[in-house]
This record gives sequence, C-alpha cells and structure tokens, in this order.
Amino acid sequence: MTQALLEVQDLHTVFDTKEGTVKAVDGVSYELYPGETLGIVGESGCGKSVSALSIMRLQRPGRIVSGKVMFKGQDLTKLTEAEMREIRGKEIAMIFQDPMTSLNPVYDVGWQVGEPTRLHNGWDAKKALASAISMLGRVGIPAAASRAEDYPHQFSGGMRQRVMIAMGLTTTPQVLIADEPTTALDVTIQAQILDLLRHVNREFGTATILITHNLGVVAGMCQRVLVMYAGRVVESGPTADVFAHPKHPYTWSLLRSIPRLDAEKHEPLWPIEGIPPSLVDLPAGCSFHPRCAFRIDRCTRDEPALLQVGETQLAACWVTQAGGELKGA
Amino acid sequence: MPSAGIETGAARPAQSYWNESWERLRANRIGMAAGILIVVLAAIAIAAPLFSALLTHYLPEAINLDETFAKPGLKHLLGSDEIGRDTLTRLIFGARVSLGVAFLTVLLSTTVGTTVGMLAGYYGGWLDDILMRFVDMVLSIPAIFLFILMSILFRPNPVTLAMIVASVGWGAVARLVRGEVLSVKERDFILATRSIGASDARMMLRHLLPNVLPVLIVAASLGVGQIILVEAALDFLGLGIQPPTPSWGNMLTNSQSYFFRSGFLVGFPGIAIFITVLASNLFGNAVRDAFDPRLKSH
Amino acid sequence: MLAKYVARRFFASVVVVLGVTLITLVLMSSTRGSYVPGIDLNPALRPEDIARLRAGLGLDEPFYQWYGTWLWAVLHGDFGRSMIDGSPVIAHILERLPNTLELTATAIVIGVLISVPVGIIGALRRGSKVDHSLTVVSVAGFAVPQFWMGLMLILIFSVTLEQHGLPWLPSSGAFSAFNGGDLLDRIAHLILPATVLSFFYLSVWSRFIRSSMLEVLSQDYIRTARAKGMSERRVVYLHGLRNALIPLVTLIGLELPGLVSGGLVVEVVFGWPGIGKLAFERALQYDYSTVLGVTFFATLLVIAGNLLADLLYGVLDPRIRYG
Repeated sequence: MTQALLEVQDLHTVFDTKEGTVKAVDGVSYELYPGETLGIVGESGCGKSVSALSIMRLQRPGRIVSGKVMFKGQDLTKLTEAEMREIRGKEIAMIFQDPMTSLNPVYDVGWQVGEPTRLHNGWDAKKALASAISMLGRVGIPAAASRAEDYPHQFSGGMRQRVMIAMGLTTTPQVLIADEPTTALDVTIQAQILDLLRHVNREFGTATILITHNLGVVAGMCQRVLVMYAGRVVESGPTADVFAHPKHPYTWSLLRSIPRLDAEKHEPLWPIEGIPPSLVDLPAGCSFHPRCAFRIDRCTRDEPALLQVGETQLAACWVTQAGGELKGA
Repeated sequence: MPSAGIETGAARPAQSYWNESWERLRANRIGMAAGILIVVLAAIAIAAPLFSALLTHYLPEAINLDETFAKPGLKHLLGSDEIGRDTLTRLIFGARVSLGVAFLTVLLSTTVGTTVGMLAGYYGGWLDDILMRFVDMVLSIPAIFLFILMSILFRPNPVTLAMIVASVGWGAVARLVRGEVLSVKERDFILATRSIGASDARMMLRHLLPNVLPVLIVAASLGVGQIILVEAALDFLGLGIQPPTPSWGNMLTNSQSYFFRSGFLVGFPGIAIFITVLASNLFGNAVRDAFDPRLKSH
Repeated sequence: MLAKYVARRFFASVVVVLGVTLITLVLMSSTRGSYVPGIDLNPALRPEDIARLRAGLGLDEPFYQWYGTWLWAVLHGDFGRSMIDGSPVIAHILERLPNTLELTATAIVIGVLISVPVGIIGALRRGSKVDHSLTVVSVAGFAVPQFWMGLMLILIFSVTLEQHGLPWLPSSGAFSAFNGGDLLDRIAHLILPATVLSFFYLSVWSRFIRSSMLEVLSQDYIRTARAKGMSERRVVYLHGLRNALIPLVTLIGLELPGLVSGGLVVEVVFGWPGIGKLAFERALQYDYSTVLGVTFFATLLVIAGNLLADLLYGVLDPRIRYG
C-alpha cells in the first residue's frame, strides 16, 4: 500500500456570519495518492472548494477550527504563514474556476506564468520567461514566444485556462488542485482542457484533485471520487464502483437525476426533492435525511460515520451500512 | 417517494425594491439623523421670521452701532457683527439663501440633466454624440470661472444664481442618467415592452425613468452639499447674493478686516455651512447605501 | 496601437475646444450691445472715444465676424485686451500662471503623497479604530468650505500666533515684499494655501484609494497570487496597488478642472498672485474681456489635462489601448 501524498484528517472550517457560524467543512477526511486524479463532487455550497482552499490555508475569512492536513510529514494547518508560502505555488498548486478574473489584467502572461519560478526557484527574469514560454507551448498555446507578451484579455477563455494550468505547473508541484476548471468554459473547450489535464497528469505525474459538480467530468477523469454534501463526505471510492452501485442515497439520487441518452421517451426525470440545508442550521442526525427516499427512524437522530460499505467504497449511511440496498422507490 | 421535503431556512415576504431600500435607510441611524437635521434646517429657513422672532427679537438688517462685535451672551446669543447686527438672526435668515438656492439649483440641474441624458441614452446615434459632446464642452469650462463670468454678466438674485450654478451642474447629471439608461435599455423587459407597441415617450417615462430614479436621488442628495459650498464661495467673493441680504457666505466677505476684533464672526457662519453640508453628505451616503448595499465599502 | 489611441483622443479634444469657444462667445455677446462700465465712468472720455474704444474691441461687428476675428487671434496666442487699460490679456496670464501652477502642483503632490498611504492603511486595517477615525476625518473634510478653512487657518496660524508673539506664518502673497524671495520664504508663504487647497482632495482621494484597494483585494487574481505563494506585501503592492491606482489617475484627471479653478478661492483668501485672483480682480472691475480670456485659457488647460489623463490611463491599463 503506497503512502498517501496528502492526507486530510477530520477537517473543520467555519465562517462567522451575522446569521451564525456556517460549518462549511464539517469533519472531512480523505487521502490523495501520488499520481492519481481524485474527484470531489457535490452541489454548490457543499464545501468542496472550501476544503481545497483550507489545504492551501487560503480559506479566509473562514477559520480552520480543528483537524489536520498531512503533507510530506508536516501538518499544514500548523505551519506559519511563511512556511505555507514555501508550499503554495511550489509543492501544491491551485487553479481556479474563472480564468478571466483569476489572471491579473495589468501584467502580461509571460510575466505571470514566470512569477512562481522567479519566486520559488530564484530564477532571473530571462530564465523564468524562457521556461514560461516553453510551458505555454506544452499546454498547447501556439506561437508561445510572441503570445507571452500578450495580456489576459487578449486570450479566449480556453486559452486563458491553459495559461492558468501552465502557471500552476512551472514549478513541477507534487499536487495540483483544480477548482472547477471547466465550469466557466463551453462544452467543446471543456473537453480540450480535460484532455490537457489528463495529459499533464500522465506526463508530469502530478497528483490532481479535481473539484466539480459535473458527474460526467468525474467519470472521464478520475480514478477515485469523493461525494460531498453539506460540508461532509458522504461517499468515496473508485469511480467505476461508485457510479455502478452507489452506496449513499445522495449519490444514488444524483446519478438518477442525470438525463440519459438511452432513456425511454416518456420516462420522467427524477430531481432530488427539497433544497440543500442551511449550513448554519443543519438538520439533526444525517444532514441528507429530509430529502432521502430511504430514510429510517435512526437517520433523524444520529449522524452516520463514514464507514466501509461493500469492498471498495466508504459511505455515511445507516441504511447501507446495515446492508440495505438502494433500489428504485 | 416520501412526502414533500422539509424546507429549511426561513422565507421572507417579498418586498418591492423601494420598500426594501426605505427599510435599509431607516435602519441607518446616522443617515436618518442627518436627514432629519436637513428637514429641521429647511423648516427654520422657511419660517425664518418666526424663528428669529422667537429666539432673538432682532431683524437681520437691524444696525446698532452701540453693540458692535459683541461676544456671545444674553443680549446677542451668538454675538453681533461689525455694525451691530445680530449674528444668530442673520444665520437663521442666511439659511434661506443657502438652502433655497441649493434646492432650486438641484431641481433645475436634475430636470434638465435627466431630460438630456434620457434622450441621449435612449435614442443613441447622432443625437447622443451631439448631446454628449455638448456636455463635454460645458464640463470642460472650469465652473468657478464660468460662474464669475456669468455673475458679472447677469446680476444675480437667488433665482438667477440658481440658474447660473445649474448651468454647469446639469452636465454631470446628464452623463449619469445616460449611463444608467444605457445599461437599463439592454434588459429584456425593455425589449418585451417595445414589442407590445409602447411609444418612445411611454418607454422613457414609465419604464426607464423609474429605474433611473435611484441613481438620481443619490446624486441629488449628495449634490445639495456641494452646491451649498459653491454658492457660499460665490457669496463670499461678493459675486453672489449681495448684502444686506444675509447669506452664510457673504457674512464672511469682509472678515479678514476684523480678524483682530472677533474670531466668533469668522467661526459661526463657517460652522453653519459645515454642519449643513456634512448632514447633506451623510444623508446622501445613507441613501446610496440604502439603494445599493453592495456598494458599501465596509 | 498607442498612436491610434492618442490620435483619437486628440481629435475629440479639438472638437470640444471649438465648441467651448462658441459657448463662451455666445455668452459674451450679451454684453456687446451695452455700454462698457468703468470706461463710462471716466469723465474725460467723450462719446466718440467710447465709440472708438468699442470699435477697437470689435463690439459692434456682426457676431460671426467677431467670432472669426477672436478665433484667429487666439490661434496666434492673442487672448484679447483688457477693457480697462487695453493691456494684452495673455501677458497677465503668463505672468500669473507660474504662481498658480506652483500652488496647484504642490497641492496635488501633497494630496497624492498623503492620500495613497492613508487609503492603503484604511483598506488593510479595515474596520479598525484607525480606519474609522480616518473615515470620519475624510467625511468631515468633504464638508468644510475651502474659503472658510483658509480664513480659520489664517486666524490661527497668522493672527493669533502673531498676537501672542510667536513665530507666525505669512498670510498673503507668494513671497515677502521686503527682504523675502528666497526658498524658505517662498515655502513659508506656500504652506497655508497649499494645505487648504490639498485638503479637499485628500479627503476624496484617500476614501477612493481605500475603496479601490478593497475592491481590488477581493478580486480573483489576488487569490491566485496568494496561491502562488507570494508574500502579503508582494500581493498588496505589486499585484494589488497597480490595479487600484488606475482609477485614481482618472480621478486626478477629472479633478484637474477643479484644481485649476478651485485654486481661485484660495488665491483670493491668501492674496496669492495667480490667474484665479486675476480673474476675480478683473471681474470686480467688469473687465469682461480679461475674464473671458482667462476663462478660455483655463478651459484649454482643462482639456489638455483630460487628454493627458487619458493618455496616462492608456499606458497604465493595457485593456484600454488594445480594446
């Protein structure tokens, strides 16, 4: 069993608001192994982005209240800011959803892509630029040398995202966190970017955490997947297994709600009833129980832990942990 | 399937934008205090003879050479000036000028500016170009030079003074309104209304104008303060309202010659201006925050 | 790219200038029919002399001819002649202009030097006592009448100090008439008026920088910069400030009209021999042509200032150049 590269242990991150304390990440644990692509999937507001930002300690104005993030033998939550800066952009890189607003409009692309190496590797401007141009070329930007002098607004959405990816990889980090990298792009470009990420993963061996709300993306890209709901991990396991036989009612409902090309013409769509809970005022017991088709009495009282269900999967559900099956209701 | 899911999170009753904004304004204590102060000042200005009769028993132009440069005291609550006129009385009457001219100016510049901005924004094209070039021109001329020029060309009484100041102010309003119209014009409901055959006038008056109103109200509230300052400066220079009609600005015109005799005479009119403008600014800020809380920087 | 942008802005400015000439002359045409005060009070002048003076000033010609003559003269640098003594307006302007520029440039510099750090402090320490006090001072500063502030400062720093036998600051003129003229003396005379003139802009700009910084610091690219492992200092100053200053340049450009003319009141209060005071003095004497000439000249400065600000903006923000 290979050693996990990154290990999140019972992480709790909260936001203090006027309405109360928002438990954005409420006891999340998972591991990331070298070279793999791990998908984190869930609705908007389920805490997937915040948990990733917490790894980087960029969760402000939120606070990490407890838990550990183990990376190369160190607990990232305990490092000083200066020590964290050594890791950010160098060992763990992060790319964000909207490349237009995530790139600084007043500096040219070559300068921005070269910045991590100037900073972390101590390279001079010339060397950094040369390396940036080479990286831009590797992520598929044609005429990289001349385009390095252009500004972000002169690139299309897909190209900008490539620039972001190049920027993340210049220091050959061990972990790449991609927070909804394709959500802001249209479908054909999405496919290209995902191809690029796959290619990058193979060529550089970078372990990737891919955060998305799109199950299709997960299916195509990730060996393992984590399903999050209301700040907690409700299911995890190899993608193929989770998709074939989900062990948590939320995952089950998600998979059911996707329209299928091979469905009958008049088959109804199955949305998930109800609305996501307020993170200030979570339901007692299992947070999903108000919307769950399979709930039993225990679900309204006790919060289920994330335990092994089946051979390869973990799920936080009383019903499946007791051996129950999730079938169409 | 189980029965309908439980809804978490309280649902608030829907309110109109105007009601919501009013609620937000009401919650802003400083802003409301400032607004009330302005109303009080306006009331004092309107009923000036009444207030001065109650408080001071003097007429603003009453000269009394035996009581020049009196210190604030029982006889003259805030002292008297270089020819014995009571300061407090003159301040009260001065409010008429400052507030009156300011409100009239805002009224004029808002009316003209909104019309021009609306037409430019709505019709676009060459009309927009011409009108906005014209606004550029008017706004290029340094306002105070223009005011000086105009006040020696046309003898200023409160009404013409308001017109003079408004002749520059409308430009900024026009730009503002045009900008708002341009952004509102693109929204789908405009297209929908046009497709049912609404006339241009109807579009502008009943659909665009109400959407532009919030921005206008903010600009007007903030504008009052600025105009009070400009008008006071003109009076101070001797180019605005002439003595013996008291205005807060012209009470300071000759102050440099009696610095040695009385510092109070320099202080009080300025404080009056300061408090009024401060109240207007605070209220204007509160109105702006009420209409668009996203703009708050804190 | 930049050249095309410059050309476009310049052409637009020229159009505005021509329009302004038309406006100001239309205004002036209201005086052409009337007698000329001042001249009229001179008992030595006979009606024929008055008529000759009026003809000399071109007051009886048809409007378009007057406009044409005036425009032609302006293009040659002749901004008209005083109605009082016939002296060329441009001579007065050029004599006084350096003084005004000295005053307003100092005020802008003071304004920028103080408001940028104050604004940054307010943004970085948002919500703290420091921030609140700075905001209060700013809001108050916005409401103080400039002329009154000048009077009060004179009262405190010139009159009262002198009354108590303490060293005091001069309250009028650009330099002392008797044994002054050296740098220290000029600075002493400059302090009070420049402070008053800069105060209003301090209040406006520091609040503006604060909100501009806050807005910039909440942008996604700041988050990216932090994710790249940059020190907070680098993030704020290298990535943030550059973006936050862009709108300030526009503001300064927009305030240039205010500075050229806002200086007028300060000049009058402090007896500062600039073009604002010139216009004021001449206005009291009903010297319309001088006031008109000065107004037009000031307008040209304003338009040039706007053009300059546009160009600076183009340099700072690449999106404008190529957009």
